[in-house]
Amino acid sequence: MSPIRPILSIVLITAWSSASAETMKFEDAAGILGAGCAKEIDTNCRGVSLDPARLKDCLLRNQDSLSPQCRTDYVRAFDAIQKRVAARSAVAKICERDAVKLCGGIPKEGGQALECILTATRGVSARCNQAIGEAGYR
Amino acid sequence: MRLGKQGRHGMGLFIVLLIGALAPLSSAQAQASAPPEDWVSKLAGLDTAPDLELAALRQQALERVKSRADGVPLQRPPVATQLLKLPRLAVEIKFDEDSSVVRPESYRTLGRIADTLYNPALLPYKFLIVGHTVATGRRESNLTLSQKRADAIRGALVTTFKISPKRLQGIGLGEEQLLDAAHPTAPINQQVEVATVGKAP
Repeated sequence: MSPIRPILSIVLITAWSSASAETMKFEDAAGILGAGCAKEIDTNCRGVSLDPARLKDCLLRNQDSLSPQCRTDYVRAFDAIQKRVAARSAVAKICERDAVKLCGGIPKEGGQALECILTATRGVSARCNQAIGEAGYR
Repeated sequence: MRLGKQGRHGMGLFIVLLIGALAPLSSAQAQASAPPEDWVSKLAGLDTAPDLELAALRQQALERVKSRADGVPLQRPPVATQLLKLPRLAVEIKFDEDSSVVRPESYRTLGRIADTLYNPALLPYKFLIVGHTVATGRRESNLTLSQKRADAIRGALVTTFKISPKRLQGIGLGEEQLLDAAHPTAPINQQVEVATVGKAP
């Protein structure tokens, strides 16, 4: 068997898993919604601000008049935003022990301990590293 | 399963094609969604937190408008000079006309602001969203509209992207702090500013 196949497979798997691990950037998720549903928002939801409850409700109420593109995009965009938010709030809990051990604090948003964990090169647990990766902090 | 020579070549070609298909996608994605480092660097580097009294600033702007002082936009000095010393970033955000509702084409920009404020280097800080308008129409309406727009952006950052409300404040300065004072009606004056104002509570 050619030795190139296993190497290529490893490269592919690594590329795939690292690409799928990080949640989508807010910029991209919001961009998908703004581009995919611009017309529908203007027509059906004029005056409704970008809001995960009200704008989503409005699009859902008008589901029948949405283009197939918008119908897919708004669900995908709000889902991606929600996933990144969840990934970010998970960091504090998952990395709590690491933060106490390495940085002497809890890695809450705005806290020094999160910055400390992010700059730590050694001693961060695999779970914490994964959580940081999913949250897109690196 | 054994693959003949042709099958192996076929598989190799498939993998190469797959890599070829993934590579430009990921580099294009990386470019489109590259961390807005320039935005982060513009907001970094606050030395000492300024002594900002937002209520007093709002009052100051309102009194100037009501007293009709500095009536000529071209000669109007900025009403809040203390903001000029802060690390800040001016961003173009499109709103519905005479409204504080952000247009869908600017959702991406709102997301980018959120990404920026979540950057680890900026996480320890709090920010002021500053609304501005061009110098056309009534000064008082412009002041009110810019406050509503600053509040709307703050609202989207808090509700949609879950940035802590403690890290964000909003103020509207209408046409009292023109971003391009030499051209009071130029669209650049409607840009929204984000300024770093201190350590997050």
